[in-house]
Order: sequence, then C-alpha cells, then structure tokens
Amino acid sequence: MSLAPASDIVGTQKSRGRPLGLLLVALPVLLVFWMVIFPIISAVVTTLWQKGSDGQYGLSLRTYQFFFSDPYSLSNLWLTLWVTIVAAIILLVVCLPIALYLRFAKSRLASYVQGLSIFPLFVPSIILSFAFIRVLGPNGAFDIILNALHLPKIRTPYLTPWGPLIGLVWDHIPLTVLILLAGLGAVSDASIEAARDVGAGRGRLLWHIILPRIGNSILVALSFSVLGIFSAFTLPYVLGPAAPEMMGPFMQRTFRDLYDPDNAITQAVISFFFCIAFGLFYVRSVVKNQRAR
Amino acid sequence: MPVDTTFKPPRQVDWAGIGFAVVLSIVIIFPLIVVGLWAFANVWRYPNVIPQEFGLRFWYQTLSRPDVWESITTSVELAVSVTVISSIICLPAAFAFARLKFPFRSLLFFSFIAGQAFPKFGLLVAIAGIFLSLNLIGTFWGVVLIQLVGTLLYMIWIPVAAFQGVSPRMEEAARDVGASPLRVFWSITLPQAGPTIGAAVLLTFVNTFYETEGAWLIGAPAVHTMPILMISFINNQPVIQYGAVLSAILWLPSFFALLFARRVISGGSFARGFGA
Repeated sequence: MSLAPASDIVGTQKSRGRPLGLLLVALPVLLVFWMVIFPIISAVVTTLWQKGSDGQYGLSLRTYQFFFSDPYSLSNLWLTLWVTIVAAIILLVVCLPIALYLRFAKSRLASYVQGLSIFPLFVPSIILSFAFIRVLGPNGAFDIILNALHLPKIRTPYLTPWGPLIGLVWDHIPLTVLILLAGLGAVSDASIEAARDVGAGRGRLLWHIILPRIGNSILVALSFSVLGIFSAFTLPYVLGPAAPEMMGPFMQRTFRDLYDPDNAITQAVISFFFCIAFGLFYVRSVVKNQRAR
Repeated sequence: MPVDTTFKPPRQVDWAGIGFAVVLSIVIIFPLIVVGLWAFANVWRYPNVIPQEFGLRFWYQTLSRPDVWESITTSVELAVSVTVISSIICLPAAFAFARLKFPFRSLLFFSFIAGQAFPKFGLLVAIAGIFLSLNLIGTFWGVVLIQLVGTLLYMIWIPVAAFQGVSPRMEEAARDVGASPLRVFWSITLPQAGPTIGAAVLLTFVNTFYETEGAWLIGAPAVHTMPILMISFINNQPVIQYGAVLSAILWLPSFFALLFARRVISGGSFARGFGA
C-alpha cells in the first residue's frame, strides 16, 4: 500500500496502488450508482415504457397525460411553484441585507447577528413545525400577546400555503446567508473604497460594484433553495393545507396511501424536470469550486 | 487648555445591527423559547401570557410512554448503524481519493454530487420504486440503506479535504527516520485529519438522527423514529406538553452538534462546499 504524500496533481505512486484505490472506493461508488443514478434513469424509463392495453410494452405517455389533465394534480403543481417562487424571493430579500451587514460590520453585535442567522441549521424541521404551531397556530403565543394587548386575533397561517412557506424560509435562512456571505468575500474593500472616493452613494455602490460581483452566488443560493423547497416534505406535510398539497406530500400520499407507484414516480420525474436547470447549475458551481481548491 | 490632538471618529450607533439583532431574536429565538416554556408548563391555559404552573409533571408522563422509548431506541439504533456503516465504507474511500492514483478518480469523486442535482424527495420516491421490487419497504434495513445514501457525499468529501490538508513534509520526515507507512498514518496523518473527520462523523450521526423523509417514505408503518413520533404527536396528540418535551429531548443531538461544529460552519470553507 502506497502512503506517499498528498501529491494530488502529480501522481508518483507505484502502479500497485491502482487496483487498491479502485477497490477502496468501490463500495460507496457502487452505492451511488445503484441508489442515485440507476433510480433516476429507471424512473424516467418505467414511466415512459409501459405495458399497453394489448399487453405489449411500448412508449406510453399515459401517466403524464393523466397528471397534466388532472385538475387536482395541476393545482398541486401550481401551489408548489407558487410557494417555491415566493419563498425564494423572500429569502433573497431577507438574506441579502443580512449578508451585506455581516460583510462590512465587525462589531460584537455582528457576530451575534451571524450566530442567530446560522442557528436554524441546528433546529430540525420537525421541532420548527411544532414551534410554528405553538407560536402562529390558533391560540398560539402570538394570539396570547395580541389578546393581552386587547387586539384582535390573527388569521393563522397554519394549514394554509403560508404555513410551509414561512417554515421553509426560516429553514433556509442559514445556508442562503452563508452562501451570499461567501460570495461577498470576493468583493474587495479596495474596490468599495475606490467607488466611495469618487462619490458613489450606497445605492450605486450596491448596484454597480457589489451586485455584479455576487451574481453567481445569488444564483447558487437561489438554486439551492429552489431544490430544497420544491420537493420539501416535512414542513408542507405538517403545516400545509390538506388540499391542494405541495408535491412532496402529494408524492408520498400517492406512493404509500394510494399504492400507486407509477403515478408517484411520474410526479417525481415531473419535479425533476421543473428543477433540472437549477440542479445542473448548482452541481456545476459545486464542482467548479471543488476543482478551484 | 490642552488640546486633544488625536482624532476620534464620532461613535456611530449601529442601527442596522440593532435592527437585525432584534428582529432575528424575535423570529428565531422566541419560537424556541415558547416550546421550552411548554415543556416545563404543568398548566398553561389560554389566555395567560405565562404558564399558570411550572413543573416537570409532563417530563415524567412523556418518559413513561412506551412509544417514546421505542422511538428513542429505534432512532439511536438507526443513526448508529448508518454512521458506523458509512464510516467503514467511506473513510477508506476518502483516503484513496485523497492519496492514491487510479483510473476515473476525478469522475468517480464527482459522481457523489449527482444526487444534489435533483429535488430530494423526488429522488427518494424514485429509490422507493426500486425498493418496492426488493421488498425493502417497511423494513429497518431499507431505512438504513436510504439514509446511508444521504450520508455518502459529506462522509467522502469532508474527509478527502482533511486528508489532503495533512502536511506532506511531516509525513516525509517521519518516513525518512524509518517509520513504517502504517506508523506514519497512525502517528502523523490521523491526528492531523482527525478533528475534521470527527466533525464529519458527528454531522452524519446528527443528520441521520433527524432524517424524516426517507424513514417515513420507506419505513412506515413499521419503523418509528423520534421525528416520526413527533409528527404523530403534532397531528393527533391533544396534550401539547408531550410534543414539547419530545422536542426538547429530540434537540439534544443538535445541541452537541452546535457545540462542536459551529466553528467549522462559520468558516468560509463550509459554505464553499455548498457551491458558494
């Protein structure tokens, strides 16, 4: 076994290492091919290549035709698209100012703000769901406070599309802030000062100097949240309306409660289709970053 | 009269910081405090602002429920099995990716990211379709397998970075004075890469512990983990305190992750791992 130093680029290892290397990585690689790549291909193939009425296998769009002509399936798809788009916009609007503040502030208050914005990473979605209901649900903490102030109760977002939406935004704040902050690291202090010296105000600084440099990070953050939100399961299942439902609970119900794997897998392929551009962009940026290291 | 010659910039109040701190405290910390209050409330009736009576009554009641203990045991068994299997198959592979030369090394290394291009629950449904024909639905090992797949990416990529970060000079020096390859690995490589690998193992355990979607889709109705019990408490349990106490217990692994991993996460390399 060759334990030569980490010559990542120039390989000086003896040829003896070759079969050993392949052997050591074989199990996880096989697992990825069997449980990630094969299921995706199989999902596309089994939904397109089905047994026809004559008992012969052939190309068939039957399950897709059903999905796109079924009003209930379509309203689930629209709800999912709506939640995804609105949540992604809210995330950017909320997280970009936080990231900008953290990039330029150095005080102890700033580290408190950073700690808070990362904190949701350490709160599992299921605890978040419970907390959400206790705060914004009927007779929750919010109602208690409003009542104590002699104000009318709120219309609770629990079991409406706003329920999972608020939960998903909460859940995605940490990584959005971290990704944007890492992008803002590429904006040099010198370029900011130079722009200030020639009299650029805050708005122009943001628009002409900062935003063009972090465009890529914004797209990465956006892709990451779209992928996470589009097929989210726990928060929509617990906090969302029973009908229409988001794609995650819809797929789960079709697969487990209705025992209809064909249609469930069709729904999965349709959600792949709607996310593929974001998915490929996201993976491409991760790969690019890894290579640049 | 002495003139103060040093220039002091006027102390500016950091209004933006105060604003963010206040709003984030309310949005992020307040809901968790409410759950904490519920866990220690013997009586809390609307519309009282704070509980009428504090106490541990519901801790005793929750901890005497057999379904709670069953879920704790299942969750720990699952998370331990997945973490151990993942470590056994991933750490040697990570070492190979970092140190050995073999065909398709780069392609195979990047194959672990493939799953990230797809929405997660859709991928789980596609995998469940395969499990259906293998009779793995509703079994413990089906859940182990699906959760194992979710750990591969970080259990390979983080340790690879750790192995590559070990200084080659120290290893060379050790070999020069006659240390055997195994000795070099044990005394030089492992102590340097250890902390990062430890963080990866801890994160794997914690993430598996909280994994809900695969366990629910594949494991139901036979496998009851703590998050799944929590879902049923939220949906069907009229006694609010049971859910609150279970939340508090459920949060413990995250608390440890918070203690050990915050430094890792605040550093820029963590965000870069997510493509930033």
